[in-house]
Amino acid sequence: MDGNIRKLGYFFIALFGVLALYLGYLNAVLGPGLSTDPRNRRLAAAEEAVIRGTIYDRRGEVLAEDRETGGVRQRVYPLGKATAHVLGFVSPRYGRTGLESALDGHLLALDGAGRIQAFVDRVLGRQRRGYDVWLSIDGRLQERAWKLMDGRAGAVVALDPRTGAVLALVSSPSFDPASVDAVVRTEAGVQNGKRVEYNITGHDVLKAQTGAAPLLNRAARGIYTPGSVFKIITGAGLLESGPQNYGRIYQCNGGITVEGFELKDFGVHGKIGFNDAVALSCNAAFAGMGLELGGEGLKKAAASFGFQLLEYDRYGRYGGYPVTGGEVPFNPGIMPSNRMDGPELASTAIGQGRVLVSPMQMALLAAGVANGGVVMKPLVIDRVVARNGMMLKRMAPEELYKAVSPETARALTAALEEAVKRGTGTLAALPGTRVAGKTGSAQNPHGRTHAWFVGFAPAAGPRIAVAVVLENAGPGAGLAAPLAGELFREYLK
Amino acid sequence: MNRGSEIKLLLLAWVFLASGAAAGHLWRGGDLRTAFIGAVAPALAFLLVAIMWHFFKFRADQFMLPLVAMLSYTGLVFLYRLHPDYAYRQFIWLLAGLLLLFLTTRLFTDYRRLSEYKYVYGLLGALALIVPIFFGIEQGGARSWLDFKLFHLQPSEFVKILVVLFLASFMSENRLLLTRGTESVLGLAMPGPGVWAPLLGMWGVSLILLVFQRDLGTALIYYGAFLAMVYVATARMAYIALGLGLFTAGGALGYVFFEHVRQRVGIWLLSPYEFVVLGEKEYDQAYQIIQSLFAIGAGGLTGAGLGAGYPGFIPAVHTDFIFAAVTEEIGLMGGLGIISLYMILVYRGFKVALEAGDDFLKLLASGLTALMGLQAFIIVAGVTKLLPLTGVTLPFISYGGSSLVANFIIIGMLMNISHGARSHGR
Repeated sequence: MDGNIRKLGYFFIALFGVLALYLGYLNAVLGPGLSTDPRNRRLAAAEEAVIRGTIYDRRGEVLAEDRETGGVRQRVYPLGKATAHVLGFVSPRYGRTGLESALDGHLLALDGAGRIQAFVDRVLGRQRRGYDVWLSIDGRLQERAWKLMDGRAGAVVALDPRTGAVLALVSSPSFDPASVDAVVRTEAGVQNGKRVEYNITGHDVLKAQTGAAPLLNRAARGIYTPGSVFKIITGAGLLESGPQNYGRIYQCNGGITVEGFELKDFGVHGKIGFNDAVALSCNAAFAGMGLELGGEGLKKAAASFGFQLLEYDRYGRYGGYPVTGGEVPFNPGIMPSNRMDGPELASTAIGQGRVLVSPMQMALLAAGVANGGVVMKPLVIDRVVARNGMMLKRMAPEELYKAVSPETARALTAALEEAVKRGTGTLAALPGTRVAGKTGSAQNPHGRTHAWFVGFAPAAGPRIAVAVVLENAGPGAGLAAPLAGELFREYLK
Repeated sequence: MNRGSEIKLLLLAWVFLASGAAAGHLWRGGDLRTAFIGAVAPALAFLLVAIMWHFFKFRADQFMLPLVAMLSYTGLVFLYRLHPDYAYRQFIWLLAGLLLLFLTTRLFTDYRRLSEYKYVYGLLGALALIVPIFFGIEQGGARSWLDFKLFHLQPSEFVKILVVLFLASFMSENRLLLTRGTESVLGLAMPGPGVWAPLLGMWGVSLILLVFQRDLGTALIYYGAFLAMVYVATARMAYIALGLGLFTAGGALGYVFFEHVRQRVGIWLLSPYEFVVLGEKEYDQAYQIIQSLFAIGAGGLTGAGLGAGYPGFIPAVHTDFIFAAVTEEIGLMGGLGIISLYMILVYRGFKVALEAGDDFLKLLASGLTALMGLQAFIIVAGVTKLLPLTGVTLPFISYGGSSLVANFIIIGMLMNISHGARSHGR
């Protein structure tokens, strides 16, 4: 009998041995996956224990902060819809988006020093706080841009051309970031034969609007046909290929015919120079420049400003669209990588054809010209500061591309100044300040043209570069140019 | 000194209790006096029992009481952390358990005479199991509690002791018959019906009762302990195979007929990588076990620290799922520590069985040890999803008076056997 007891004893000890091994497996191998499982409430609970850091604009105005109201802590966005896309939202259900997501590590103080501080705070029974983040965004400019858009769909991007600091990033239509979790209504449904009520949240409603797409950040991720604002790139390509081209005279007979394809102009401009071609947005002159540059030359000019070439035939019109990462991820401009024939080359040179851009890309174009041909990386975080005042991160401007030579940039600036002084962009003019810019009216399949304006001011020493696009709002000269003018006035006053 | 090792080990265990109480007080705050009493009183109670044993020249195993003290202290500390009220009540039950442990070792010593009344406790046990079906109340899905207003009692926790007593006396009496067999059934030598009928009858009754009470975990423990005792008595693997076959058949029938059995098995078969894709309904059904796995996964090697985890997310965390709370807050090291304590306790239990003087005592010690070991294994394996979850308490740690007191009585009986073997010499 003793032998049996011994064997039974070994069996039991083996049982516990298996249990120990399995527990180790569960803890070490499955543990990391379990702790990041979206259904695990531990991460959210850990976040609740921390007061999220405050987000300030460049002047110290609060853009987002945790506020206690009636014992409940809530994230408050004083500018509401105006900053919804750039800041994003924080939701226990839908996670985090925008800068709230990108800055999570700072706002919750999740770095090494933050963890040590968390331990100290716990021992001392102090409330934990994340780091505060100061953005380069100018709250007043942001709000002004949002108001000026007046509910029209579109986007505004404003940059400091010297540093790449993002001054404004507005997208419309927008949403209230504080109400994504709110239950708007309930809907009855049937599940497994039982009647159930579904809660429909603000987020569900926003998501259902696929046409207006209020959740889409058009400023960074919208893709539009550029229209005539693309002529800056065609012009830049021509000037880069030979400085003597600046002095050339073009003949405009009210249009141009390429291999049987007729490209119309808005008027017969006759014999005109480069500045006039830009100022009057002459299609014939720029189509001719495009044909002269050739497909490769045009692609090179666009690529120097950060455009990417895409195999359209392979990816379709929108599939495989590249994204440029960074503090504000955005879609770069794209051009078809395959060979362009004459008619396509001519339309591409004036910004039609198959070339597509985001408002951020066009703001970078304006900023590059304004900054003597050097495109700076767009940065939105100015600094990260701990509660005790310690600076944890500070913006360091960074060159992104050397797009064109300083001479080309100077020549382009002079031409863009003419466009605002006496050409299509006169409504962007500002008394006492030299403004440079270009309008665009992008033909598209959805109705009236998209109204574009890209430009910068003051032309002599640029401090702000903008790109404005208003969807289906008609010619750029009409609505986009004066909006840009108001932004220059607001920022430079 | 007679019980020197025991007292030294209890003093070491006190350090554990005192640091646990200090950590609990720092985290929860509140009354310093309560924390002080919590740090001192349970340890003094255990020491008092050891000292009394010393004076009564009790010669039983000196490791069991310190092991039980470690497990009980873990329970008190974590119950205090989860909800102080549970800890206060558990403390009272602990004192009752220690008293019964002491009384068992003083009054309940002559098992040989007890073994003559085996049909009496067979009947008593059956009666105690029937009562809750008609007069009991339901808790956690199992209808196995009796309501005594001041406290709830779960008879099946005590009946398991009676069952092991009955089986031990019956098997030791009929051991030769059981081993040899007198009739051949399907080519397998089987003892006559007169021998195995009462045995299986007893077993059928308790299992059926447990099915009616829907207390699967307890039924599993009864059955496992039964098989363990059959193996010790006969060493015939054919019986074990037959038993396992019957168990599989029973499990299959349960799967077919009982929705809750199907659910448990379905949850058990889920992959931890699939939680994300579970629909609301499946997720709700598996909620408890998923939360338990999240807690264990969150622990890491050393745990979140006492009070720094979120064991409150797990339903019934203070009873069946306390092991998950322990691993979340004191980590893999803590979890392995608890498993080791049970391993050593089971080892000491079988050592007592080896030392015991006769077949009855050997069978009794083996059965009682198997009961305790199986219960610990089944619930830890359940909350870690190694086996399908069957709700039972974790001996000495989970909140629950019936389970705590019953396990103290089991320890007392094992120590009696150990004392008997050591004082009579072998």
